[in-house]
Amino acid sequence: MPATDEEWARSYAIQALSDLDAREKLADANAKKCHRLHFLQMAAEKTCKAHLTWENGHDTVRKSHAYVARVFPIIARVFYPRINDNNQINQWELSAITRFAREIELLAPACDDGDLRRDNSEYPWEDARGDICTPCEYNFPNIDDGSRTIIRMIRLIRTAAESYSRPQLTTNH
Amino acid sequence: MTKIEWTSSAIRDVKAEFGGVVNKSKLETAKSLANAHFQVEPNLKRIYLMQPINDQDPNDPIKLLEVVEGTIERGIEPVSFAADPARGMDYRLMIIEISPAEYESVRTVGKVRLGNHDWTIGEELLAR
Repeated sequence: MPATDEEWARSYAIQALSDLDAREKLADANAKKCHRLHFLQMAAEKTCKAHLTWENGHDTVRKSHAYVARVFPIIARVFYPRINDNNQINQWELSAITRFAREIELLAPACDDGDLRRDNSEYPWEDARGDICTPCEYNFPNIDDGSRTIIRMIRLIRTAAESYSRPQLTTNH
Repeated sequence: MTKIEWTSSAIRDVKAEFGGVVNKSKLETAKSLANAHFQVEPNLKRIYLMQPINDQDPNDPIKLLEVVEGTIERGIEPVSFAADPARGMDYRLMIIEISPAEYESVRTVGKVRLGNHDWTIGEELLAR
């Protein structure tokens, strides 16, 4: 019997929580920024895929990495009121999360914004001057991973991923 | 013979005397962080330094309990940050963000449990 959408969503969510746990361990160990960001990007992406699988079915989720910028703000809008007495997320918080999600998405090597952004957390790339950049030596100036937005993002990832890891409890369907 | 207490400030004084790198103490760093956080987070109501602070162990993180209006209520759930000396952050940081209602419940106990350790809610850090 083929796996159900619920099983796929649960699996994405469990992996997202494990990726997030790895991010925490890497931060605790003062690992390089590229590694910390890499696991945050993977956790965010899998949480988005868990959400899409749960909402639309696994067939709609492709192997693309380009989900975070579009889907994560939706997750923020959906989950924030659920766990905050129906209060909507503040517009400034949502704007900050949206900007951050866009930058997180671009960390995946396959997401290069039409070849405009080759910086990524995994593989070396050549910059506009022809110099080779190495992720573990690069400081990713567009992402402040000491910012407060990252706290919000991590807490939202945990909340959403935990919810989809036990989807029978979130009976929206 | 006089016994010298090698406090963090004494160590820094000696380092400075001999041209070494002078790091801020954890308390000084925590106060700077708190000030910066109050400037960028309009919903941040209070920040407490979790104790004990182990200044002798650079790997022991600074732990801040931050009370934020409207945050997701998830209980005690630290988020870790690596040290970033290039930006003046010489120590690892751990932030526990809780809502005012959650704070009321931990305030009466006066401490939080993280892993196998109990951390006491210590000095309140204020915006300068």
